[in-house]
Order: sequence, then C-alpha cells, then structure tokens
Amino acid sequence: MNTIARQPIIEVRDLCVGYKNRSVLRDLSFTCRSGEFISLLGPNGAGKTTLLRTLSRHLPPQAGDIRVQGRPLEQLSAMELARIMAVVLTEKIAPPLFTVFEFVAIGRYPHTDSLGRLAPKDRVAVTSALAAVHALDLADRPFANLSDGERQKVLMARALAQEPQILLLDEPTIHLDLKHRVEVMAILRDLCRSKGITVIASLHDVDVAAKVSDRVALIRDGGIMAWGPPETVLGGQAVTTLYEFDKAEFNRHLGGIELKSGGNRGRAFVVGGMGSGALVYRLLAKKDFAIATGVVHSNDLDCFVARSLGAECVAVGPMEKINGAALEQARMLLADCDLVVDSGFPVGPVNEANLALLQTALDCGKPMLCLRDGLPPGLAANGTHRPMFCADAGRLIENLEALVVPIHTQEV
Amino acid sequence: MTTSDLCLQETRPLLLRRAPLVFALLGCLSLVLMLLNVGIGSVPFSPAEIWQALGQTSEASTTGFIIWNIRIPRAIAAVFGGAYLAASGLLLQIYFKNPIVGPYILGISSGATLMVSFVMLTSVTVGWTLFTPFISTLAAFAGAYGVMLIVLAIANRVKGGVTLLIVGLMMGYLCGAVSAILTAFAEKDKIKGFVLWQLGSFSGFKWDEIWLLLAAGGAILVLLYLQSKPLNAFLLGEEYAASMGVDIRRFRFLILLCACALAGMVTSMAGPVAFIGMAVPHMARLSFGTSDNRILIPGACLMGGLVASLCDLIARTVMAPVELPLSAITAFFGAPIVISLLLKRRVKL
Repeated sequence: MNTIARQPIIEVRDLCVGYKNRSVLRDLSFTCRSGEFISLLGPNGAGKTTLLRTLSRHLPPQAGDIRVQGRPLEQLSAMELARIMAVVLTEKIAPPLFTVFEFVAIGRYPHTDSLGRLAPKDRVAVTSALAAVHALDLADRPFANLSDGERQKVLMARALAQEPQILLLDEPTIHLDLKHRVEVMAILRDLCRSKGITVIASLHDVDVAAKVSDRVALIRDGGIMAWGPPETVLGGQAVTTLYEFDKAEFNRHLGGIELKSGGNRGRAFVVGGMGSGALVYRLLAKKDFAIATGVVHSNDLDCFVARSLGAECVAVGPMEKINGAALEQARMLLADCDLVVDSGFPVGPVNEANLALLQTALDCGKPMLCLRDGLPPGLAANGTHRPMFCADAGRLIENLEALVVPIHTQEV
Repeated sequence: MTTSDLCLQETRPLLLRRAPLVFALLGCLSLVLMLLNVGIGSVPFSPAEIWQALGQTSEASTTGFIIWNIRIPRAIAAVFGGAYLAASGLLLQIYFKNPIVGPYILGISSGATLMVSFVMLTSVTVGWTLFTPFISTLAAFAGAYGVMLIVLAIANRVKGGVTLLIVGLMMGYLCGAVSAILTAFAEKDKIKGFVLWQLGSFSGFKWDEIWLLLAAGGAILVLLYLQSKPLNAFLLGEEYAASMGVDIRRFRFLILLCACALAGMVTSMAGPVAFIGMAVPHMARLSFGTSDNRILIPGACLMGGLVASLCDLIARTVMAPVELPLSAITAFFGAPIVISLLLKRRVKL
C-alpha cells in the first residue's frame, strides 16, 4: 500500500458549510489522500460535525465543491457513495433483537442483492470487518447488550463491512474508557496503514490526535485555522489559541497538556535538572504554587515541563556547563521564594553549580524539601535549620501539606 | 479468517431454523381458526353439512348461502384485515423509531373514520353508487393519508416519542369531534349503520370487497417484502440508512404510502380496529426473535391474521347471539400486552 503514490481521494475547494440560514464554516479548501489519518480538532460547536455531515452528504454544502475520487460528490449515486464512504455517527442506536453479526451484516447493504441476502463473500467481509476491530468474539452477542466500548467497535465494523475507501467518524472515542479509547485509535491507525482507508475523524484529545494523525485540521471561528501534519501545525501556541486555554498549555515535545498553577499558595523554587524536576513541578502546580526553577538545560525534560507550566525557568544551552550569569539569575529568583525544593538531581560536571544554589538556599534559611536521603557531599546545613529529607513523592506531599499553610497566611 | 468464517456459518442456521418453525406453527393455528370461524356461528351446522355446502354454490341451499356469503368472506376478511393492520403497524414503528405507535394510536384510523363518516352520513356521494364500495375505501385512504401528513408535519418539529403519541391522540379526538358533529346532523338510519361500523367488525364483507382487499393489499405486501432490505437499514436510523445507499426521500414516501393504504383500506371496510397494528408487531418480533424485516413482514402478517381471527371468533361466540364489538376484544388482549412490554422494558419510549 505504501509504495503506491497516494492519490487525492477527497478534494474540497472553497467549501462553505452550514444549515439553512446559518453559515458555520466558510472557504474551506483541503485535499485528503488515500491512507491518511485526518483529525478534525476544535472546541465544541466549532463545526467539526457539520463539516463531517457535509462530506458524507447528509447536509448539502452552501457553496464550493467536494470531489470524491475526482468526481463531484453530488453526482455520485447513493449506492456508489456507499461503496466509497462509510460513517460512524455519535447518535446512539439500539435496534432490538440483532446479534452483532446481523448488525454488521446490514453494512453489506451496497453489495448485497435486492433482498439483502448474504452471499459467501458477504459473510467473509462481515467476518473480516469484525476481525479488523478485534470483535470476532462478539459475533453472536445481542447488539443491545454491548458496552459502550464494544458498541463503538461494532459500529466501526459495520462501517468497514461497506468496504469503504473513506471512513468518517464523529467523535469516535467519546464516552469510552481508556482501554477502548486506545484500542479504537489503534484500530483506526491500522486501517489507514494496512487497508489504505482514509480516516477522517473529529477528536477531542489533542495529544492522541498528534500521535496518530497524518494531518490535522484546526477548526475555529468559522474556518480552518491551520491544516497540515501535526508535527508542524500543532504547536503549543496553536492549541492554546484553538481551545482558548487559559490555565493550560499543550507541549508538542511532551505530547501532552500541562495544567498551569494558579500560584496562590506562595512561590517555590525548584533546584532541578536532568529530568528530576518534571514530577515535582507538576506536583507543585497541582498544589497551586507559583514555580521558579533553575538552573536547567534548555533541552532538558525539566525545561519543557517547567515552561509549559508557566514557571520562571533559568536555562542554559544544551550540554553547556552552568555559568555564573545563570547562577546569579537563579539566586535572585530563589531569594524571592518562600520554599525551596531539591529535586534530587544527579550531579555531574555540567551542573555542579546547582549544588552552590542549594548551599545558598541552606544559608539563607528558607524552608527546604530535599528528595534525597541526605545532603550531597560538600554541602552543610546552616545551624539549627535543616532540610526535610523526603524518601519519595509521598513523603514530599506530606511535608508540603504540613509546611505550607503558615507561609500562605503570611503572604496574605 | 476462513476458519472463523466457517464457524460462523455453522452457527447461523440454528437461528434461522427458528423462523420456519414459528411460521409453521402460526400457519397451522391460522388455518384452524379460519376453519373454526367458518364452522361456528349463530346457526349451528354439523361438519358434514358444511362439507356438503362447500361443494355447492351459494344459491343451492340456506347452508350454502350462509357459508359462502357470510362466514367465508368474514373469515377471509379477518385474516387479511388483521394482517394488513399488523403490517401497517410494523411500518409505522420502523418509520417513527417508536415501538408504541400503530395506525390507531397515530390517528390514521381516525382520519379514515372521519372521511368514511362523510361518505356514510352525508349525501355528498349520492349518485356515485357505481363506485361503492370503492368510494368509502378511497375516502378512508384519503383520510388516513391526510392525518398522517399532519402528524408528520408536527413530528418533524417536535422530537420525542411521547409527543408523537400525544399528537396522534389529539388528531384522534379532533377527527372524532368532526364525526360526532356529522352524526348530530345525519339521518337516523344512516347513524345506526355508522355507529355499528365504528365499533369495528369483519362482518358484512361482500365478495367484491374481499377481492379488492386481496388484490390491492396483496400487491402492497409484495412491494413491502421487496423493500425489506432498506427497511432493515432504516432500523439504524435515517442517517445510517442514507450512508448505506438508501434513497431516503423516496423510501420514506413509499413506507408511509403503504402504511396508510393498508390501514385505510381495512378501516374503510371493517371500521377502526384498535391495538392489532400496535401489539402484533411486538408479538411477532418476540416470537421470531428477530428484527429482520424479511422475516417480520410475513411473520407479522401471519400473526395479525391469527390474532384478528381469534378476536373475531371470540367477539361472535362468547356472548352469542349478541356480537361484541371487535375493538373491545382487541383492546382486551392488546392493552395488557403493551403494558407488560413497557413494564419488562422490552420497549422504550
């Protein structure tokens, strides 16, 4: 499949979609090629479903044209279209007294004779559709008794029984548990790869979409804000604009969304680096601390997480030895903080300076939480003030809870 | 793939075997009931007399007259009337995706009643005697379709199963009100005929009515059976059906036309008969254990014929020589069935 040059299968030009007297999306132009996984992303009500309904001809376009396999969509007969395109909708359906096999067999509609009798090739197609969604074991179960996740898979099998080249899915993972969410996405990706089916799905999980899609369409404000491979289109800023994030940020490198802290419980300075700080930052953000951190390297996991969480982050270039200027900047940030956390970073030649940062913290008597069993060699506690050593994240949380309240009241 | 396919093929026939069995059972029962309907009546005949009469023409003897012109038409009318009402109910339940609808509940029977009352109670059609009995059939069909269109127009605006039922009931009341007003102005002898007709009965069918019933209804049933594939697709909802290649607009028109024609035809001849259209499709679905319309269309028809024959037999015999109204009997068995379905949550509104 991959060796064949990928043909455009859907071409959309200057398309306007909407309902009778309400335009939803305007001037859309894009091309989908066979075997591509295309995700439509955007906030609720942006028009993802309307676009899908227009592509599946449930809704006439207001303007512009759609070509399927080079032919105008409106010229295809219902049967021709059914052999090219299948849909999975969000509408809940529960026809009574159908076994899963019989239900999926209804999808053979465009291929069976006038009475809908199943020929041997139809049985094979139904069986392989069930196999493609890993649901062969459900074949004899009553359709009405399936769980949400199983039902979604069977709905996909019904669509596959049509043997389509294009599969349109409206929010295929909504209401599903994590297992089925992952399974459904994996199935869809396999369909693109092994059967060369073009999948167009509206999705809610940006992180998942970024990982499986060949192309994404960011839909917002009556149009496509961006269209292209997620690797170029799905930047943190684009996602923030798309969903109007206020307290969250999507990070392309991390492939996930970080929830920012409100910063209402005081400021914490984290001495981190080498990936040791990521968990600590997230924990502090969750506990509503404002975060400052240093000194980390700009290619460090910690740096990505800290920046996504909106932390003040002192960073030096990749592999660089931490220099005096950065250290000085970190010291100034540290001086403003109510609390210092030592993430337990491994010490090496490039980040030895961070030990000096820890010593500064010890010297100025800030409350200090240390994710180690004891102080690293060369550091000394200042008088009676000793850091709290936390063996694991659990101890860290307990100490944080115990420690923080007075600081917070002081601030107010 | 092939091995699992073979496994599936082996298990299929088990399910398929149920249908012929139920068909055979229902067929035998229907036949027995038809024979009973011919054999039992206010004038007692011995089986030998009946056998003899069957070999003669209707003019040969009183027995022959009663058997050929009263009992056999009535038995046939009951079977086919019941079958058509059941088919009509099945179509409407699929169309509205609502298990508690039927031609009576939706006001289709009331619409037919209204138009028939025009024909029976007023003098509008005097001089058109040539067309009777077809005139009242056509009137019933027009009434059924008129009400159907109104219900549809409202159903498109307000979604929800319960609303649909209420709209149907209201249409029933409105049509009933107009019929009542017509009754107030009508001549006495016409009223008696109308009131009797309104109670519903398979009696008094003439042979030309029977032929019309068989020919027109039979043609519609064949047409419907040929539509069982899109009907099955329609069970998944309009949008899925359209995406699988059903020409929705044409198909919707066809279903409603057939449903109204069947219900209107039976209503014009037998009067409004309640519950058969609503309850029988459920009985068929449960006894055949499927929603597949290739089985359900003939299945519901057979079941409808059986139930209507049984009800007619009961109506004629329990309080003989007084004949009970047919709708009373159908309500006695139909209403509890619908309630028990609701209680068992077999159907959802």
